Amino acid sequence: MIDEWIVFLLLFLTPVISSVPIALAYKSKEWTDKLPYLSVLGIFVSVLMSLYILLVPTFQGQYAYAWIPNTGIEFVFMVDYLTQYMGVITALIAFFIAIYGLDYMKGDYRPSWYWFFFNLFTASMLLVVYSDNLFLLFVGWEGLGAASWGLIGHWFRDDDDIAYVGQKDRKVGPLPMHWAPSTGGWRAISTIRFGDVPMFLAIAAIWALSPTLNISEIEWESLFVSLGAAGTIILFLCLLMGLFTKSAQVPFCEWLMTAMTGPTTVSALLHSATMVAAGAFVFLKLTWYIQPWTLHEVPGLEVVYTIVLFVGLLSGLYGALSGSGMLERKVLLAASTMSSIGLMFAATAASFWVGHFAVFVGFWYMAVHAFAKASLFLVAGHLIHATHSRFLGGGREFAKKMTPAFVVTIIATTFLVGMPPLTAYWVKSGMDFVMEELHHDFGILPIALLVITSLIYAGILAKFLSLNFLKGEKPEHEHTEGGGLMKVGYVLMVSVLFVISYLFLFTSGEAHVFEEFRHEGKVMVSMVVGVSILVAYIVGLVMPRISAFSKLGTFFGDRMYLPFLNDFIMLKTGFFISRIVQDYGNRGIDGFFNTRIIPGIFGLVSEGIRSIQNGNLSRYINVVLGLVMIILIIAVTIGGVLQ
Amino acid sequence: MITLTMPLMLLGALVILTFSSVFSVKYRDLGFFGAIAAILIGFAAVTLANPALIYYTGFVVIISLINLVSLKMIKSVIEGVDYGLVGLMALVTLFIFSTQDLAMVLAAFVLVSAPTYILVMVREGGANVEVGIKYITFMVLATVLFLMGALILAYTQNAFSGLLYILGYVMLVVGLSIEVGVAPLHEWVPDVFTSADPIPMSIIASLAKIVPFVIALKILISTANPLTVSITLFTAVLAAISMFTGNIGALTSKEPARILAYSTVANMGYILSCVVVIVKPEFFYFALTGALLMLFANAAGKIGFFTAIKNEGVYSPLVYLLAFSFIGLPPLMGFWGKLFILISLVKAEYIWLVAIMVLNSAISVPYYLRLARELGVGWKADLPNYICVAAVLIIFVTFWPDWFFKAMEVLAQTVSIVL
Repeated sequence: MIDEWIVFLLLFLTPVISSVPIALAYKSKEWTDKLPYLSVLGIFVSVLMSLYILLVPTFQGQYAYAWIPNTGIEFVFMVDYLTQYMGVITALIAFFIAIYGLDYMKGDYRPSWYWFFFNLFTASMLLVVYSDNLFLLFVGWEGLGAASWGLIGHWFRDDDDIAYVGQKDRKVGPLPMHWAPSTGGWRAISTIRFGDVPMFLAIAAIWALSPTLNISEIEWESLFVSLGAAGTIILFLCLLMGLFTKSAQVPFCEWLMTAMTGPTTVSALLHSATMVAAGAFVFLKLTWYIQPWTLHEVPGLEVVYTIVLFVGLLSGLYGALSGSGMLERKVLLAASTMSSIGLMFAATAASFWVGHFAVFVGFWYMAVHAFAKASLFLVAGHLIHATHSRFLGGGREFAKKMTPAFVVTIIATTFLVGMPPLTAYWVKSGMDFVMEELHHDFGILPIALLVITSLIYAGILAKFLSLNFLKGEKPEHEHTEGGGLMKVGYVLMVSVLFVISYLFLFTSGEAHVFEEFRHEGKVMVSMVVGVSILVAYIVGLVMPRISAFSKLGTFFGDRMYLPFLNDFIMLKTGFFISRIVQDYGNRGIDGFFNTRIIPGIFGLVSEGIRSIQNGNLSRYINVVLGLVMIILIIAVTIGGVLQ
Repeated sequence: MITLTMPLMLLGALVILTFSSVFSVKYRDLGFFGAIAAILIGFAAVTLANPALIYYTGFVVIISLINLVSLKMIKSVIEGVDYGLVGLMALVTLFIFSTQDLAMVLAAFVLVSAPTYILVMVREGGANVEVGIKYITFMVLATVLFLMGALILAYTQNAFSGLLYILGYVMLVVGLSIEVGVAPLHEWVPDVFTSADPIPMSIIASLAKIVPFVIALKILISTANPLTVSITLFTAVLAAISMFTGNIGALTSKEPARILAYSTVANMGYILSCVVVIVKPEFFYFALTGALLMLFANAAGKIGFFTAIKNEGVYSPLVYLLAFSFIGLPPLMGFWGKLFILISLVKAEYIWLVAIMVLNSAISVPYYLRLARELGVGWKADLPNYICVAAVLIIFVTFWPDWFFKAMEVLAQTVSIVL
């Protein structure tokens, strides 16, 4: 048995420490060529530790270590059902992507920057996953934000169109639909910060009202009751601002699309097990301990879960529809991720009405999605390398040269969309059941939204396969040789889907969740939905582009003009406010105060001090004796009064 | 046995000091080694009698030895005797915590003050008489006020009178202020600091500052009564004025010696604010820790900076470290000094003074950095650089000051006089 604290220390710190050498050696090309292996090794240690935590059954439970005494702020880690799996998922995916990155990032102009932030990203997510203390979680949360900014804007020189998002010279109204990597990094960090601040306030509010910040120990029910309906809703809205911005739910999803300006490895990590998954995962974790299905009489909670349910479902639909019109490899995948994350939120929120089972559905869908989506991203990266184009393209001839990529794409797409009897089908069946159960409260709206989303989703992933390997135009450039480690990366990644399939089909899992999945998979409704998805997938495969819908497609591909929110409305509002602050705040108050009053006072005092100092002794004597006399007279007067 | 050993050993040290000074007229090095021997004997005497004093005496010995060595940098006309003067100041400073007798305490005040009258005039090839006159005039005024204040306060212990107490308190504090250079009674400081030789100045600005504060604390604690709470405001206001005057003066000065002069005014303000903590005797040990750390940090910093001025620059990282200590960056001694003073002021519920002190620390940042930039040059293996290395080592000793704080907790019990 290893001591628990050593396990945690290795888990969180090795990725960071192992990437410090390359960060320091940034000037030496010789070293930066070799040191990435050390960084990957660091992540591998995290994989081992997370597996250790999962496989040693006695490891479950809470571990607390002192940090700031008497404040409720401590290093508290929780190993429970969700975290033990999520930890392995995070570490494993990061590790596979890191292997892939050894090839993919070869010859990059700043490997030190990349590896340091990549490993920091992984470590931050692990911290978010395992920490039970909300404050500690927030530390990891901010680490994610910082690392995502560093990685999305990695190619900060903005000098290569391959790293851009959007089409050059295309404009919609006043808005250029073309985003540079540095813009992408900025859009990410600004959106996330917009949500982090309210989230921080929410944590502060919980801190003020609850004796502990540990998610598993907070008395959620009495907290909500003491806040009342309005208080609970406000608290959650603040908290959800953080989760929704991080997870790119409508209307905060724009940053995710332009996050595709980062290296593909980053997109893969961002979309599967970190960052966007972080928001959904924290919501899962909170729901796990709040147990909203037992708190129906608590005022305000139902409103909160209704909001999450519909934000999730709408994000799901929006993402799928946007993806249907997209022609860029990675941005299409980004839109589909947003859609999937929306479904995770929706399923988890449904637990308020359906119960614990819905949380399992949300979580296992996240697991399947993580590996499948990471595989697809890695393939997309390889394709971009091979064709020097970020747009969908490549026919059968090309597919023959890229057989592993082709096969992995087939597996990842079919296993993810939910066609029977492949992996995602079982968890999607669970989701069908959950949404159907909501008909008492919301009619057929939830299930209808889910089915429509699923069908379009199947279509767009089929389109990804079709346009890249079957029906796309022949690429102008083809560099299909090499890339051995890249292939290793995505083959390993996609193979995990078979492991999960095995779990779903042949084991029972905690609380017989997998048996329940299998049961739901055999229900008529699920089968009908599953077959429809299969049909949608085939349609997408055969007709990846339908010219009759091209105008609608362009509208969807422009993300329904949502970029206006980020790049126009927010921008103009921001500039308006900053102008007011500048004109009236800075120049009026600040400028006057800082450039006139303070220096004026300093000048006067300084002049006063120096004017005495003329070097003349008799003058000094006069001053000091005068002062002493005045002081003594005052002292005697006061002494007389006090006496 | 021990009670008798200490006076005898100190007497021996004084005899050695006297004879070595006298014979140094003929054999110059004798004064230097005699002074070192006397200081070490004094250290042994005081520390053996009261082992709890070891940290205090240790710092004093190191500072006085550096002072002695730094005198080697100039060829004064009284070379030999000047070592004896520093030795005498060091002996008195070592001894000060070991007596609770009013007469001894007042004698100590004069003994530590008088040698500086001569030191201030020391310069190469002659005497700096003009500076001497300026300095001595103020010192005499300070001494008179201080001694009278002390005696009046002592008198009130036998026949209490509120009027007399307040008069005595104010005279003592005003005397102390003139002696160490607290604004607005600091007029001599900028002139003397800039026109005297930097090396003797480094002694006056370091070693000579410790004893007056300790004596003032001893007398004020022993004579405290319900009126102290009201009159303490006077000291607090004085401290605040001194902080602002010192820091703004330094911020708007160009000449390094003048900046150091105003920095002394500011630092004396910080240390004077410890006097207000007398109203909360149970937290006095915080103030004592802060005051002594601040005095030692100030001593180390002044020695380093004045040596740098004399040498027209020393190794750049050294002066920067000294500047950081003055600014109050952890874990340097200047930080801990300020921190403990601030804690003691918080405990004494003088929050406005805390705010002023923090604000002043911020004001001081630019000029210390400017000083470091102007006085920093490349490394050279010579005496001034080694002196600065020693000064920097001092400010690093308390990087974790727990041990010092614990020792001061014990020492704080003895800060009093028997009346």
